[in-house]
Amino acid sequence: MGGEMKKKGHPTIVCRCNDVTLEDVERAIEEGCHDLECLRKVLRIGMGPCQGRTCIPIVARILARKLGKRVDELELPTVRAPILPVPVHLLLKSREGEQP
Amino acid sequence: MKIVIVGAGISGLFTAYSLAKMGVRDVVVLEKRYVGYGSTGRCATGIRASFTSEEHIVLMKESIRLWKEYSEGELGRYGLNFVQGGYVWLARKEETVDTFRKLVALHNSLGVPTRVIDRDELRSLVPPLNTNLVAGAMHDPMAGKSYVFTTLRALMKACRELGVRIATGTEVRKLIARGSRIVAAETSKGEVSGDIFVIAAGAGSRELLKTVGIEIPTKNIPRHILTTEPYQRAFEPLVIDWDTPGVPYIVQIIEGNFFIGRDIEEEPEQSIYSQRIDFMPKALKPIAELFPFIKAVRVLRYWIGYYVATPDNHPIYGPVNNFDNLFIATGFSGHGYMMGPVTGKIIAEWILEGRPSIPQAEKLTLDRFERGALVRELAVIG
Ligand SMILES: Cc1cc2nc3c(=O)[nH]c(=O)nc-3n(C[C@H](O)[C@H](O)[C@H](O)COP(=O)(O)OP(=O)(O)OC[C@H]3O[C@@H](n4cnc5c(N)ncnc54)[C@H](O)[C@@H]3O)c2cc1C
Ligand code: FES
Repeated sequence: MGGEMKKKGHPTIVCRCNDVTLEDVERAIEEGCHDLECLRKVLRIGMGPCQGRTCIPIVARILARKLGKRVDELELPTVRAPILPVPVHLLLKSREGEQP
Repeated sequence: MKIVIVGAGISGLFTAYSLAKMGVRDVVVLEKRYVGYGSTGRCATGIRASFTSEEHIVLMKESIRLWKEYSEGELGRYGLNFVQGGYVWLARKEETVDTFRKLVALHNSLGVPTRVIDRDELRSLVPPLNTNLVAGAMHDPMAGKSYVFTTLRALMKACRELGVRIATGTEVRKLIARGSRIVAAETSKGEVSGDIFVIAAGAGSRELLKTVGIEIPTKNIPRHILTTEPYQRAFEPLVIDWDTPGVPYIVQIIEGNFFIGRDIEEEPEQSIYSQRIDFMPKALKPIAELFPFIKAVRVLRYWIGYYVATPDNHPIYGPVNNFDNLFIATGFSGHGYMMGPVTGKIIAEWILEGRPSIPQAEKLTLDRFERGALVRELAVIG
């Protein structure tokens, strides 16, 4: 991602985890991605370690503006376990995984 | 001629793409949620031809040829990227290596170049693997992977340029039949008429087809998978732990994350939003034995998607007996992503030329279940 970085001096980064720029988002919306799930999947916005806590609100505003909608009219992406990144060695201590 | 496709997963989009490439100007894809909402957006991105039936092997070989061709052409310029990283099956038990030898003989006889490999070769293919636990392995160098969201984006872009309309947020509630023809789809946004209808609606296909009296024998089985954060490249093959129940697997996707899955006991039709807390440790335990470094890696997300399974684990393709203008592409039983390119090609040929260019596909029509002509596996392995 972040294909614009090389061309322009100061791209506006909207997703820090995955280096996605404002232009990337606007282009994907123009290509027909008209919901947050589509933007998330196509640009990997919200798939970084912060799980979108940083970028999804920003992207929601950009999308709402482009579509002439209110932010609260947009469907929000699914939140998935384990919410915060968890190291594998901690998950391995869980007794849930013991074989039946 | 107007062609209406239900479902914007890999099957619907590749069908739309192939039809548009073959010159159909009026193609519309109806999708209840968003592109990739179904199983496609939830899959492990693996692609292989090393199966155990002639039908699967012939179709998958053609699909791999197309994955390569597409990644070097227009779709490749739009981001579709097939990486031929291979698959590796691990044997923890000595006798499993004999099973691998039998499979290799079958694959080789049908033109799939799998091989049994020793520990040295295994170490060079999968450097971080703890080979002490492994008795031997089978390698499929023809197999590979393709990141699903770049593939979907490339398809969306190419389809749009070819004039295909993709209507998201548009649920098809029922099909409307007149005599032996489907005349329209009744959607959440009004009626859509058409000359040809293709049902590529994944887990939604069975209920939709019931609205015109067609029963398909599919079950929607929840399958669980997790991803870690992205890391630097560690190994390319998709690695399968054959001797552990539920066959755990791990693949480092092109974007750098490790996807880890394992089949756990599941009831068909369970909601894909009913997460199972036991899944993560169950999948991670065998993988951490084989890949000790994974213990330090962080898990990011876990999700569930459906395998749409048929009684013989092969897809349902093509026309339906009682209707003149209805085609099905579903029931991929866990390998529909890899079949996407060949699915699109043969369904488009069926519609435009009356039959698919690959004769084996004709054995996969819905009426095989009535005729009792289920697909025969050439090797049954336990
Ligand atoms: C965890 C997991 C791992 C997997 N790993 C692999 C793998 O490594 N390799 C592989 O090849 N396959 C894999 N699969 C299987 C693969 O994901 C599927 O076989 C494939 O994606 C099916 O694609 P499809 O287009 O037929 O269906 P889907 O992707 O399910 O698309 C169907 C679409 O139709 C829409 N729809 C449904 N009903 C309606 C309706 N009434 N109106 C309008 N739209 C509707 C849905 O919203 C959906 O978007 C995996 C699956 C899972 C769950
Ligand atoms: S900033 Fe976008 S996922 Fe973290």
